[in-house]
Amino acid sequence: MLQIGNGLIIGSIYALVALGINVIWSIADVPDFSQGSIFVVSAYIGYFTVTWVKLPFVLALLAGMCVGSLMAFTFERFLYRRWRGAGRVQLLCAIALFFLWSNVVNALWTAKAKIFPAYLKGSLLGFSYMRLVVVAVAVILFVLVYIFIMKTKIGKAIRAASQESEAAQVLGININTVNSVVFMLGGALSGAAGVLVSPLYAIFPTMGDLPLLKALVVVILGGFGTVGGVLICGLGLGVLEALGAGYLSSAYQHGYAFIILIVVLTFLPKGLFGKM
Amino acid sequence: MASDTKMIEKKSKKVLEVRKLTKHFGGLAALNDVDLDVSESEILGIIGPNGAGKSTLFNIIAGFFPPTSGTVMFKGKELTGLRADQVAHQGIGRTFQASTLFKQFTVFDNVFNAFHMHYRQPPWKALLHTRAVRQEEGTMKQKAMEILNFTGLASQKDKLAENLSSGYQKILAISIALATNPKLLLLDEPVTTLSPHMVEAVMGLVTKVRDTGTTVLIIEHNMKAIMDYCDRIAVLAYGSKIAEGLPREIGENKEVVEAYLGVMG
Amino acid sequence: MFGASRVAIAVSIIILILIPQLASNYVIYVVILAMLYAILTASYDLLTGYTGPLSFCHAAFYGLGAYTSAILTLRTGMSFWLAFPITGVWVFLFAAAVGYPALKIRGHYFAVTTFFFGHFVYLFLLNSRKLTNGPLGLRGIRPPDSILGIDFSSLNASYYLVLFFGVLIVVFLHLFVKSRIGRALVSIRENEDLAESIGINTSFYKVLAFSISAGLAGMAGSLFAHFFRLLHPSTFAWMISEMIVIMALVGGLGTLIGPIIGAGLVTFFLELVRPAPELRFILLSIMLILVLLFEPKGLMGIFWRIRGEK
Repeated sequence: MLQIGNGLIIGSIYALVALGINVIWSIADVPDFSQGSIFVVSAYIGYFTVTWVKLPFVLALLAGMCVGSLMAFTFERFLYRRWRGAGRVQLLCAIALFFLWSNVVNALWTAKAKIFPAYLKGSLLGFSYMRLVVVAVAVILFVLVYIFIMKTKIGKAIRAASQESEAAQVLGININTVNSVVFMLGGALSGAAGVLVSPLYAIFPTMGDLPLLKALVVVILGGFGTVGGVLICGLGLGVLEALGAGYLSSAYQHGYAFIILIVVLTFLPKGLFGKM
Repeated sequence: MASDTKMIEKKSKKVLEVRKLTKHFGGLAALNDVDLDVSESEILGIIGPNGAGKSTLFNIIAGFFPPTSGTVMFKGKELTGLRADQVAHQGIGRTFQASTLFKQFTVFDNVFNAFHMHYRQPPWKALLHTRAVRQEEGTMKQKAMEILNFTGLASQKDKLAENLSSGYQKILAISIALATNPKLLLLDEPVTTLSPHMVEAVMGLVTKVRDTGTTVLIIEHNMKAIMDYCDRIAVLAYGSKIAEGLPREIGENKEVVEAYLGVMG
Repeated sequence: MFGASRVAIAVSIIILILIPQLASNYVIYVVILAMLYAILTASYDLLTGYTGPLSFCHAAFYGLGAYTSAILTLRTGMSFWLAFPITGVWVFLFAAAVGYPALKIRGHYFAVTTFFFGHFVYLFLLNSRKLTNGPLGLRGIRPPDSILGIDFSSLNASYYLVLFFGVLIVVFLHLFVKSRIGRALVSIRENEDLAESIGINTSFYKVLAFSISAGLAGMAGSLFAHFFRLLHPSTFAWMISEMIVIMALVGGLGTLIGPIIGAGLVTFFLELVRPAPELRFILLSIMLILVLLFEPKGLMGIFWRIRGEK
């Protein structure tokens, strides 16, 4: 029970990062590795907001989301946009950015792990309040994104553009705007995820590597599905990993995602919910 | 076109037999129980409105994806289940709808590369570049030149494929397919978007290819080209074959005219 | 090939042969490293440059080769001279088994899968303590046994050993890409559908290129293991795969000589910034972005521009 619960918590983090990557991948045709860097940078921003500026956690979360948005917007505006349609160069650029920021963070804040000050002491049913807050915020963000994509005009344009790149223009929305919005959305989600995990685990420069990889697995497994599909895949992966670590071997906890990915892609090249 | 009609009358033997070919994409039927017979050395035109399943038919014959059900026989041999490269080895060449070329190669290299399956020297000798291998490559280069002379591209041989005019690009696509030495040639929209002058040139080339004994299947929207050059025409609409016959018969067929006008008008 | 480039290659080989006689041990050491990277980038070029699929796991095969060779010689007492070819064949077969299902996945999916694979191998090396000694690293690897009276524990002999196999591998790759098989690979890169339509079995050739590229990386790993005689999983982490990609791109993919030059230049560049280790990878990734922005064909692209070709 506890394992499933912890799986759901980490799974909701995977799902948050995956949701942003999913939307970006389906619009801009690039698996945006730089979301991993955004995750890390936002975690540090959240940490400094709380420890140096001494603001409450909610504002730290907002700060992380803003910084994440801004980073993703900048990457898209000045780099990815130049190579729209040339997926290979975009992917190389995404990897370069990920590589770059991993090392920048390492240089700025050293490899030594930082520990978030404890918040909200106490627990419910064996889960600390903080963990429950993480899940609650993740769910709220998912609902907000769902409403945004389904109900707003720009959301409709995003959905149209993910089917057909010229379709957004029909709705009277510039494809550049759609790209900017999508990257900012992705950045905000990864940023939120980064700040949310910080109180649960330590903050260190490579903390984004595994969530990024897992999120990419979730996106591929989901086969560019719906918002709900991403959530289910994310939570499912989190739970499977937690169970695998509990009952099989914890040494390979982070290898399970890869094994699942290979098995699924071998038999279902288009993912679980998939249409490519 | 009198000589072409004579060829049909000869009732020469069937090269390609398509039986009850069906293809579903998700829930949609792109092809529905299509039968088609193609005789040796004829030019068969396949027409129909967009989305009628014409390219799907080509892709299945050429092995690019498997049918949901039905069979394709080529010279009495079952093709269904073969990969695209295996189908090419059977003697079926094809072109693609968009100008699909090795765009960064010269015209000559486009054709020279297409001789891939004609090499007989073993691979390990190819790695050592032995004298026999170099001789074989020399022969292939000569043959590539022969094809360029045949299709009239010899003067363009050192240009990059991407720098050719669209008409020459279509001819280059046919030249590449010819390098595989096909018995059956599938041409997907070989003259679409071309000027009337280039249409004549390309279709003239197609006739010349047919005269060497190669059977040709053409998908095309240019009705004049189809009517003037095809021996027979098959009409697809909504995944089904709705008519088949001589160009004159098709032109007078009410159902065909309606299917076309219904969608295009 | 025009005469000038033949002269350039001959001169470079002569310089490489003379280096141990003229330079300091430090320089010899760096050149050995550069030559190992050159084998890696040249073999990487076979897959990504000539055949097309973008791969981010070359260091994983390098690592598999290094650990295989080290473990074979440590556990069974096998001689390097036997372990070296066995390693190459084993990594080749292993890559074929992984590549066969993975290469069915096209485009970004394949690239992302290779990234995972690289990480997976790293985790394996780190966690299989019984086999690899995990994060403590594998020690006590023997240098190649002496043959013809040459003692391979000396720096100079190691240098010539790496140079010998490096030249051999590059010559092999050159013959390979200039053959009709190489033309088939390039056809696949240029247009996979068209390549199939002219009778090229694209999945076979992609797996072949992937496996040969991996096998050669494995052999580079074996050379590395018996030269440095100390292995640690972090030498084969994803950053190193990225470094190989960057070296190859800086030189110019799909040219063979470009990635080799790229490996040399980037290795020396990394040595120059050795005093500021935290800056090394930062500068390297900026270098990659600059290449993408200004000359995706790398140094070879600049070279062609100067000569006024293409």
